[in-house]
Amino acid sequence: MNILVLVKQVPDTSDVKFDERGVMIREGVQSILNVFDQFAVEEALRLKQKYGGEVSVMTLAPEQAKTAVQKCLALGADKAYHISDRAFGGSDTLATSYALSLAIKKAGNFDLIMAGNQATDGDTGHIGPQVAEWLGIPHVSYVEQVVSIDNGKALVKSILEDGYRMVEVELPALLACLPPTNFEYTNPSMSGIIKAKSKPYIWWKADDIDGDKSKFGLNGSPTRVLKMYPPPKRSRGTVFTENYQDAVKKIVEALMEKKVIE
Amino acid sequence: MLDFTFTEEQEMIRESVRDFAQKKIAPIALEMEKTKQIPEEIIKGMAELGLIAPTVSPEYGGQGFDAVTAGIIAEELAKADVTGSIPVFYLVQASWGHIFDKYGTEEAKKEILPNVTKGKWFLGIATTESDAGSDVVGTRTTIRKEGDHYVVNGEKMYISGVREAYTRGGGHITIAKQNPELGAKGMTLFYLPLQSKGIIPTYVDDLGREGISTGGFTIDNVVIPKHYIIGEENRGFYIVHEGYEYARGLISVICAGAGLQSLERGKKYLKERKAFGQPLAKFEALQFRLAEHYTKLSFLRLGAYWALWTYDQEAKGKATRFEVSKAIAMAKMFASEWSNAAIDEVMQWQGAFGYTRECPDQAAWRAIRSFAWAEGSKEIMRVIVSRELLGKEYISYK
Amino acid sequence: MSDEYKGILVVGEIYDGKIRPVTFQLVTKARELADTLNTNLSVVLLGHNIGEMAKEPIYYGADKVYIMDDKIFEPYVAEVYSRALSKFINNLKPEIVLIPATHTGREYGPRIAAALQTGMTADCTDLVIKNGRFVQVRPAYGGNIMGEIITPNHRPQISTVRPNVFKTKEPDKNRTGEIIQVKPEFDSIKIRTLIKEIVKTTVTGAKKLDEAKIIVSGGRGVGSKEGFEKLKELADLLGGAVGASRVAVDLGWMPKSAQVGQSGITVQPDLYIACGISGTIQHIVGMKDSKVIVAINKDPNAPIFNIADYGIVGDLHEIIPMFIEEIKRIKKK
Repeated sequence: MNILVLVKQVPDTSDVKFDERGVMIREGVQSILNVFDQFAVEEALRLKQKYGGEVSVMTLAPEQAKTAVQKCLALGADKAYHISDRAFGGSDTLATSYALSLAIKKAGNFDLIMAGNQATDGDTGHIGPQVAEWLGIPHVSYVEQVVSIDNGKALVKSILEDGYRMVEVELPALLACLPPTNFEYTNPSMSGIIKAKSKPYIWWKADDIDGDKSKFGLNGSPTRVLKMYPPPKRSRGTVFTENYQDAVKKIVEALMEKKVIE
Repeated sequence: MLDFTFTEEQEMIRESVRDFAQKKIAPIALEMEKTKQIPEEIIKGMAELGLIAPTVSPEYGGQGFDAVTAGIIAEELAKADVTGSIPVFYLVQASWGHIFDKYGTEEAKKEILPNVTKGKWFLGIATTESDAGSDVVGTRTTIRKEGDHYVVNGEKMYISGVREAYTRGGGHITIAKQNPELGAKGMTLFYLPLQSKGIIPTYVDDLGREGISTGGFTIDNVVIPKHYIIGEENRGFYIVHEGYEYARGLISVICAGAGLQSLERGKKYLKERKAFGQPLAKFEALQFRLAEHYTKLSFLRLGAYWALWTYDQEAKGKATRFEVSKAIAMAKMFASEWSNAAIDEVMQWQGAFGYTRECPDQAAWRAIRSFAWAEGSKEIMRVIVSRELLGKEYISYK
Repeated sequence: MSDEYKGILVVGEIYDGKIRPVTFQLVTKARELADTLNTNLSVVLLGHNIGEMAKEPIYYGADKVYIMDDKIFEPYVAEVYSRALSKFINNLKPEIVLIPATHTGREYGPRIAAALQTGMTADCTDLVIKNGRFVQVRPAYGGNIMGEIITPNHRPQISTVRPNVFKTKEPDKNRTGEIIQVKPEFDSIKIRTLIKEIVKTTVTGAKKLDEAKIIVSGGRGVGSKEGFEKLKELADLLGGAVGASRVAVDLGWMPKSAQVGQSGITVQPDLYIACGISGTIQHIVGMKDSKVIVAINKDPNAPIFNIADYGIVGDLHEIIPMFIEEIKRIKKK
């Protein structure tokens, strides 16, 4: 089993703040490995343990994303590809998925490509399906578990809003992974961190991957961000702190007046 | 010449430990004061990450970490565990694991250290007696050779992790007099399993860091095998000081980390809490105190890492024993005092709440207070520094 | 950009033998956009034995409904849907395509954008025409920021929209439109995905959260699985459903299907009663468009109070029973 996991470094959205002009306040914001991707890495490592083979990780990002990639190596991944070039600046999901698909083709043959279902910053969920489309391989989204791999096929559990599906997909395939609600990510061990240092870490520039360069970066991105702004605030209403009985009465009255309850 | 950055690897280590500690340890820290123990899953988690005695060589289950890296882990644990219990659990085993690794016999290392790093056993240090603390030469416990083994008699007191080693397994690196007439030159260091026949433990009720036990034990004709001797016979006094230095370095980082973390909580409180119509953070008197304590503790932190770095330099032949002793003693001299002063200030800001057991800072205050004497009192630190400055002939007690 | 792209297309979804409500929500919104742009609105439905259902989108404003009826579409498989839809869209050449941001829509949708090499904007919370330009509004960074996205030079412009972001109008059964059968076209199709089993985990009989007009939702403050019983009692009394915050789901007190918020579902009921929910930004993005929000929380500083129309600082275990009594009292009248 040769598995490639696509990963991304993201700002920790729990402490991301924006100013009134919609500019991110970077002070005090940590960069972390997208938790969806970490789940995909851990699931890939579990498969490696079961079926043997190798787990590689790949990112298309500026150099500083190395810490997130290094974390994957420390968790047990064997090899890393880091594609970094100014030419990729301003890429939207189409341009990113295109460049990634080229890099994947160059990196070799993988039985399985895994990715987080979405990243916590952009939250688009486009990359997985779009990479699969560029590569012409099938994919399954919202994969919570890879149940088994047998006879060139993967059996996966894919989550629906009201249940789940058991899906069998022919390899090579891409799985966009969704951590289960009780997922607790693993912290890399001390020995893992030490071992990571000596694992292959491959840097590629735009020139190292073959493809249509006009489809890279901002030029290759159909979408443009017009502007960013903080979400409109709902204003604070009436807050009662005592006389609960009375408060409840008043609230119920108001709700009836507004006809939200009958 | 000066480079204050940690390596990429060390940053990753800090990140992993911080995340683990903040996620798993911080939320349950105050509970340990009631349960009087470190939860088993925390010990298991630490062992899985490789945080127990990471100073031990990889062949015995450790990570082969140097003192600076061991310090990074200590700092992050201290920031998460306000009770100081896990930092003590950590620092004792990291320091004495290192000494065991350096001076123990191959046979003993194979037998004991993997059980320590796996979190199964506890490895402690037992030098203190009721009448001998900093004055190690005042030790009364004796060890004598009998054929192919040794027999130990005596009593140790105010020892960390007695219950842990007595119930979980493991033991303490212990010092005893082999040739009393030779004073410091007649003392031997050895590993004493606390589940040995002839050991009776006792416990004391500590003011803080209650998640780990403090106690003592009587040693009645306890037989230990030859391979449990650590270093050469009669060299115990010297080796034990090396271990204490390691521990003092880690303690200095712990004091800095715990104090800075307390200031971090205090800072938030100053911004949130309003008095006389404005946030406390607007009052200049409080701003200045925050600035002063933060500055002092940042220097303490730098000094502590510098001392640990000096320790690592000795291993590379780039620093002498004396330089290490002095650097470590300088780092620890004010560590507890400054950290306690900062925490005390944060408690003051919080008024009545700061004086309740719900307030994390009071637990930190009680824990950090112990480091004014633990592993060498602040007075001894002054003795060491003045000895290095003036020369041995001016040692006041000789 | 080419002028040959005209009209708006809504990709409808058939789920469990019915057209998903989100389809009508998108059609309602698309009708507004089509009127502004003075263009037509089409809907495409993929499925098997679609039958009479095909008329329904017309009631909500569609001019044309394209039907691809084939057993290959049942059960749903991403590679088949994306292939058939890419081909169809490429032939129809609409200027705007709206796709439901359901788990399925978010699976096949992005593939279509890649196949057509055009821009796509996920999880839009608003779609507007500004100066003749199609502007897609979406949150990012866990709802901490909103962005306006455009696709200036590529067509079609594709957006996905989560269920319940837009409201439907009353259907007009007298409205007429055209229903057109389309034969699905595939260059070559070797289906490499097989659905082995579909399991529904939503408790039967429980009111579907995203369709409820009233939601009583609980968080950490509820304290236990049993604690949710009181919430359920209140919800039943009001004819509503019970929701939960991520924490309550993580702790196993409520099923995942009850989770409201960023990683759960978006709801827009008339009344949302948040009990013991502090109101993290991730939760708030999932319910902030509720008509009226009532919050009950012990912590006076809980952010939920900042968006609530009515709040009570206190113990929900004490206050919920008061609500139950008060509602009962009124109902008797």
